[in-house]
Amino acid sequence: MADKSLHVMLMYIISHLGLIFFMYPGNIISSTSQGHWLPILVGILIHFIFIFIYMKGLSYFPKKDIIRIYSEVGKGTAILFIVPVFLYFSMILLITVRAYSEIITIVFLSETPLWAIMLLMISISAYIASKGVEVIFRTGLLLAILFLPIIIFIFFTSFQNVDWRYAIPFDANFGFLTKRTYYEGFFAFSGGFLFLGFVQPYLSYKRKHVLWAAAFLIPFFIFSVYVPVLTFGQATSSTTFLPYVVAVDAININWLMFDRVTMFFLLSLISFIMLFLALVSWKAIRILSHYLPSIRPVKLLIALSAAVFFSCFLIPDWKDVEKLFWWNTFLRFYVLVAIPLSIFFFGLRMKGKDSNETV
Amino acid sequence: MKLFKPKSKASITISLLLAVIILSGCWDIRDINHRVLPVVVGISTTDDDLYKVFLKIPEPVEEMTKVKIVSGTGETISKAVDAISRNMESSVDLLHVKVIMIERKTAEEGVKDIIAGFMRSREVSSKALVTICDQDLNEFFSILSTKELHGTTMLDFFEKNAGWNAEIALTRVWEVYRSIHSYTRDVAIPLIAAGKTTTYEQIGSAVIKNGKMVEQISNDETLLFNAFKGESAHGQIEVLNHASVMIIGNNMHHHSELTEKQPFLQSRIKLKVVILETRGKTTSATIKKELSTLLTGRFAEMMAKLEESEADILGLGQFYRNKITRKELKNWRSEYYPNLKMDMQFEIDIQNEGYLRTT
Repeated sequence: MADKSLHVMLMYIISHLGLIFFMYPGNIISSTSQGHWLPILVGILIHFIFIFIYMKGLSYFPKKDIIRIYSEVGKGTAILFIVPVFLYFSMILLITVRAYSEIITIVFLSETPLWAIMLLMISISAYIASKGVEVIFRTGLLLAILFLPIIIFIFFTSFQNVDWRYAIPFDANFGFLTKRTYYEGFFAFSGGFLFLGFVQPYLSYKRKHVLWAAAFLIPFFIFSVYVPVLTFGQATSSTTFLPYVVAVDAININWLMFDRVTMFFLLSLISFIMLFLALVSWKAIRILSHYLPSIRPVKLLIALSAAVFFSCFLIPDWKDVEKLFWWNTFLRFYVLVAIPLSIFFFGLRMKGKDSNETV
Repeated sequence: MKLFKPKSKASITISLLLAVIILSGCWDIRDINHRVLPVVVGISTTDDDLYKVFLKIPEPVEEMTKVKIVSGTGETISKAVDAISRNMESSVDLLHVKVIMIERKTAEEGVKDIIAGFMRSREVSSKALVTICDQDLNEFFSILSTKELHGTTMLDFFEKNAGWNAEIALTRVWEVYRSIHSYTRDVAIPLIAAGKTTTYEQIGSAVIKNGKMVEQISNDETLLFNAFKGESAHGQIEVLNHASVMIIGNNMHHHSELTEKQPFLQSRIKLKVVILETRGKTTSATIKKELSTLLTGRFAEMMAKLEESEADILGLGQFYRNKITRKELKNWRSEYYPNLKMDMQFEIDIQNEGYLRTT
């Protein structure tokens, strides 16, 4: 099995980038009025701690995915952990499809009906997912080559209008811990990392490289929040729905023939999101087909996509999306904390058993 | 792992062909020849509190672009634009609006809602320039329509690589929006009228505080405003009694102090100038001295005016962000700013003197 660290790294980066630039800055900005670095830093720290534990735990089980790990431990554990993970994936699919379609209509396709956008997002990601994990990762490489340069270019030009003095007052407090929006913002940290435990049977990767990928994301986490704050100031940026996108809208590049660079930025990110959705659907199908081996996976995939698509119609407006977002926060923290810790724990226990047996 | 193997190429071909129907995106489409794309939007309020909107539309006529001016009224701007659209043979699309012109009377009443509307709908780019018309918009546009105009004249007036001049304040929609909410930042907007020999004439700049026009500064003062913003004073001519010079570069150094609600700002502005013309017997020492006293005096006059109106267009409050808590910063404009003492010093470097020597 070839070492696919590069693919895993790129996948890790692009699925997080897709999540960072939209709602995350708004969530952080509304969770505190000064010293935004503290909530961001706390998030990054938690992110690092749990992916480290998760990967350390996974390293005790080479070539096994977390479904096998849990089912080998026992039926009860499998239900305790696998069911919430599956629920979490379905919720992510539902919320991401619904929320991002709405964002697309807000930002550029204002006259296109929602269902058409949702159908497009679901069908493309389901198609990629149906082709299996290798295709997903190869598509990731392709998307990274095509769009990552654009994203990085626009990320740097978005500093055009910043006034660094807006970063002051610098002193922060922990008041953000009581704010709901702060916890909602955690989807940018916890959405993408679980796949590391699903791809082990197919791809091998080095732990160090994934940590590098996570380190690469740090400036994006920080400046997706700070660019709007430095451009508009806290008081103004808290009135906007997608602060970073508004800040990108204010970029003025004379020598570029395109007037609105936002479009390139958003379309690149939307393609990342589609790939992210493909990855999540693939993971969800892995779980389903493990328990329903008699049904062909592709049928499960079609059923799941259809279910997600039609459930999206049950969410009439943005208020309900936000409600779902909040409900999912509990599940998200459960997944973020319980899965890495339990994998680590089972790993340690198994190692202990093994060494006892050899003695 | 492959989840799914298509049975035949036919099924793929059919589904790809079906995708063509969706991919064309052909619903609610309006071809470009059925759209009109105004470049300038003029906004005024009528006596019964309705918005009157003027659109300046470039029209291609036999290899030339002519200008058409249309107007409509409504309770909101979009309603007024809609009314115009209804009465025209093609639909109005505000996507390419570059300049927004607001009548002085409307600006004095406040432009908060207008600007917020532009930020919200995103149809008009947030990079569009904002100007204020010093005369009745009816009058202004009827003068314009009698002149033989090229399609983009108003835009070229402001364009940095066309007719822009350092005495024109370049202020964009997002900057005006920022000034509505920001604690420490206001903006200056060019004040335009129809010219006698030229198409337009800049009378000065309007000072906007919290979305309301509160004061007016002259063209010379606008130059200082631009120099302070670092909006390169390039190509700028200062006329003195003895000479005229061109500013080719500036850099600034500020030192801020605060003693018990009494802000004190020490600023050193270094100007690099080139001598263009001299009158009578002039030495470079006198030029330096005169320029420095002239600018210092002019600056003090402008500051007095600005402090009285409590409008911080230079963003001086930014220098006190590290000295005043965020809670207090809210009162910057009313409590601190009017007491601000400023020590302004201009240092003049004469870069070159042209082909002739001065003594």
